[in-house]
Amino acid sequence: MIEMTQVSKTFGGARPAVDDLSLSIAAGEFVVLIGSSGSGKSTLLRMINRLVEPDRGEILVNGVDIRRQRPEDLRRRMGYAIQSIGLFPHWTVAQNIGTVPRLLKWTKARIDARVDELLALLHLDPAEFRHRYPHQLSGGQQQRVGVARALAADPDVLLMDEPFGALDPVTRGALQEELLRIHALSGKTVVLVTHDIDEALQLGSHIVLMNQGRIVQQGRPLDLLRRPANAFVHDFVGRTEIGLRLLALDRVAGRLRPNEAAVGEPISADLSLREALSTFVARRVDRLPVVDDQGRPAGALFFSDLLERQL
Amino acid sequence: MTILQRFLPRRLLLALLLAGSAAHAADSVTVGSKIDTEGALLGNLILKVLQAHGVNTVNKLQIGNTKVVRAAITAGQIDIYPEYTGNGAFFFNAEKDPAWKNARAGYDKVKALDWQANRIVWLDPSPANNTWAIAVRKDLAQSQQLKTLTDLGRYLQRGGRFKLAASAEFIERPDALPAFQQAYGFTLKQDQLLSLAGGDTAVTIKAAAENTSGVNAAMAYGTDGPVAALGLVVLEDVKGVQPIYAPTPIVRGEVLSRLPHIRDWLRPVFQSLTGPTLQALNAKIALDGQDAGRVAADYLKSRGFVK
Amino acid sequence: MTWRAPVPGALALGTLISLWSLPFVRFAPNRLLTGDGLAWWRAPLGLGHWAALLPCGLLLLAWRAQSRATRVVGLPAAALWLVALPWLAGMAARQMAPEVDGLARVSLGAGFWLSWGLMALLLGELLREAAWPVWRRVLLWVGVLLALLAELSGGALDHLSLLREYANHQDAFNLAFGQHVQLVALSVAPAALLGASLGLLAARRSRVQGALFAVLNLIQTLPSIALFGLLVAPLAWLGEHVPGLGIAGIGMAPGILALTLYSLLPMTRGTLAGLQQVPAAAVDAARGMGMGSWQILWQVELPLALPVFLTGLRITAVQAVGLAEVAALIGAGGFGAIMFQGLLGSAIDLVLLGVIPVVALAIAVDLLFKLIIAGVARHD
Repeated sequence: MIEMTQVSKTFGGARPAVDDLSLSIAAGEFVVLIGSSGSGKSTLLRMINRLVEPDRGEILVNGVDIRRQRPEDLRRRMGYAIQSIGLFPHWTVAQNIGTVPRLLKWTKARIDARVDELLALLHLDPAEFRHRYPHQLSGGQQQRVGVARALAADPDVLLMDEPFGALDPVTRGALQEELLRIHALSGKTVVLVTHDIDEALQLGSHIVLMNQGRIVQQGRPLDLLRRPANAFVHDFVGRTEIGLRLLALDRVAGRLRPNEAAVGEPISADLSLREALSTFVARRVDRLPVVDDQGRPAGALFFSDLLERQL
Repeated sequence: MTILQRFLPRRLLLALLLAGSAAHAADSVTVGSKIDTEGALLGNLILKVLQAHGVNTVNKLQIGNTKVVRAAITAGQIDIYPEYTGNGAFFFNAEKDPAWKNARAGYDKVKALDWQANRIVWLDPSPANNTWAIAVRKDLAQSQQLKTLTDLGRYLQRGGRFKLAASAEFIERPDALPAFQQAYGFTLKQDQLLSLAGGDTAVTIKAAAENTSGVNAAMAYGTDGPVAALGLVVLEDVKGVQPIYAPTPIVRGEVLSRLPHIRDWLRPVFQSLTGPTLQALNAKIALDGQDAGRVAADYLKSRGFVK
Repeated sequence: MTWRAPVPGALALGTLISLWSLPFVRFAPNRLLTGDGLAWWRAPLGLGHWAALLPCGLLLLAWRAQSRATRVVGLPAAALWLVALPWLAGMAARQMAPEVDGLARVSLGAGFWLSWGLMALLLGELLREAAWPVWRRVLLWVGVLLALLAELSGGALDHLSLLREYANHQDAFNLAFGQHVQLVALSVAPAALLGASLGLLAARRSRVQGALFAVLNLIQTLPSIALFGLLVAPLAWLGEHVPGLGIAGIGMAPGILALTLYSLLPMTRGTLAGLQQVPAAAVDAARGMGMGSWQILWQVELPLALPVFLTGLRITAVQAVGLAEVAALIGAGGFGAIMFQGLLGSAIDLVLLGVIPVVALAIAVDLLFKLIIAGVARHD
């Protein structure tokens, strides 16, 4: 889908922001670019839609060199969402979302239908939110509109630059769930930049860890946790937190014993193993009853099963 | 249709418009005047006479003091304005010439000089004399028996209390206050003078009438309206120090040759303006507050100069 | 002793003091002399003297009364004072100078102006305390204005010196009005366009800002009379050599040119400030979504910069209204011509005739722009 070959970019200083980097992104992947500040992850993202032009190297999207098209045309076929959201304060929610469709000269009816569809997708009641102005929305609602705006013209690629960085943890968690759901439903290619390793591990199907403009390691979340390539990666994914992060990757449903029962308040089968561990320790028990999403008993989770070897 | 055919009509139109406006500008007469009361009156008289005879006029009345208006006519910005014969001494650096003290001689001299130097024609003058004068408060005149400037000289030599409100032009021009001082033997010190901006005597006369800052005398003009009404008395210039300042319309030569009848139209009007007539008209504007244009129009109508 | 409403109380007290100690009207035998002042109790007002009870009553209300009493009694009382005072002055003038064509003049004294002005402030303060909505406040002021206009057209004030001057100079007044509006409009419009362009340039290339504002600041510090005078010679030269333009060294051209130059600084600053406060995130998002430079300018930056730009335009217009007064010195006309005529001819009420309309015009322009800005900035 996106092929980046030996791209480099230096901004004025001696050290390059992106240093001879090659990356291949397959269609439908959820790629997370992660690294500390100055690792070049934002610069790399912004090269994809030509907000930054590389000094050397080439970038192909769908096999076509991006320099062969007008930047505006390229960007209109990609969704773009940023940390500061950047909604237009003088336009309603509907007008904000309809920005790219209007640039692409869709008919009014088609734009209106799409706006309603996207608002519903992001759990915002169209009747209530269509005519509101950005200053009348909370931070979480604004970023939902920002995501809707990025998805408006149904792009194949969605570029997101630390989109949830400015939100409180609860809203952040909710929006991360939304994003995962949208990715699963639509099959779009998502490239997301973040500095939060937990967010990366939760969202990404393919994680790219960068440092000083180069890729240090890339792969599935499990690969980085279980087989860090070097000490830098080891430190980045958390050293002492690795175990908890591994647990966070699995659900209770995958480890419970269906024919067993336990006493006490039940936990949902959908909970992550990390949350289950927290519950074990809080209640000081070694087995917990589990219910499914309808509230019916589904079995029990044993504390010792948490240490079960990965298949 | 070629490009030439498309644009040519427009260019032609533009050229016609420019030529038309230039032609229009060419046949109108710009009337100017000085900014004071009498300037407004005389300027309006000229303006209304020209308008009554169907001439296109541009109103540039009351644009500034003598220097500004004089510069405007020599630069061709205005075509005609009322000036005073005595000012010829000032324009042509001939203050010492005794001809200015005589009405006829002064008129002939400035007419010849201005035609020679600037191609400006001096038309027929009025018999009035709007010369500079010094007026004192009536109570001062009565208590000190001041009737003439000679009396004033003697009073000042006695060390009498005196403060004169006057314009900067009056204080500095050699043929004004300095001429009086030389002829009548007095010299006013700095604390005996109050210099005011602008040449309008209404301000100076008011200052004397109200004793502002201790002023008890004012610069005035021979044809001033409000002098008596405000309780002042003009001191006679018995030695004839001052030049004669007869109000006269002056016009640029090329405008006159275009409209030679201007001379005939203005002659009877200016000849009717005697000293007392001018004083009465000036009083209507300065004291009564009437609009100068209206006063001019009413006068012309009442004397039958226009219908 | 604590006052319930100290500010209205102070204003009411000030009104009473100015009525008692300053002349209410002045009587002069002719329009050139200042004349003698007549305090409130000496002016021939007849039963009108009792109107002084109004500020007394307001003083009492400010001391003791509850807010509701102040609203119900105080507001109409203050409004009534504003309408009645000029009428009483007009009545006194009719008594003292009965012949419309006579030389004697009755003018409004310092006591009148001060007590009227303080009472207007008091009315504004009472309205603010009563927390009336904007439209109702505007309605009240319009009502007062209409009542005053009715007095004017009904001839109740005709014997006052100010109105006598107006009657004598009506044509000049109307001409001056047209010229003044022309001066302001013809200078602010090009300054707005030019200033907007310069502001846009400065926003795009920040290196230009230093030099640009140095020049504009320099122009702004030139005294207006000096600038008018300096422009006469070059424009006269231009007028001679390019006759088709109809420019002359004196008259409207140098006036408009100077006013345009003075309007450039506030317009450029207003545009730059407006563009600088556009949220950078919105512009970044717009670029990333695929808007071209012109589209970003027209659809995002200019609409968001508009309220600040319009505020700059408001300030510029009000400044131009006041500055145009001086243009009369070089023959540009406008109300300044009337003012200078009064100054030189020593007729103070003629000066007022040239000044009061300019003040009213400035206030009207200010209010008009405030309304426009409020309409534009609805959802910011």
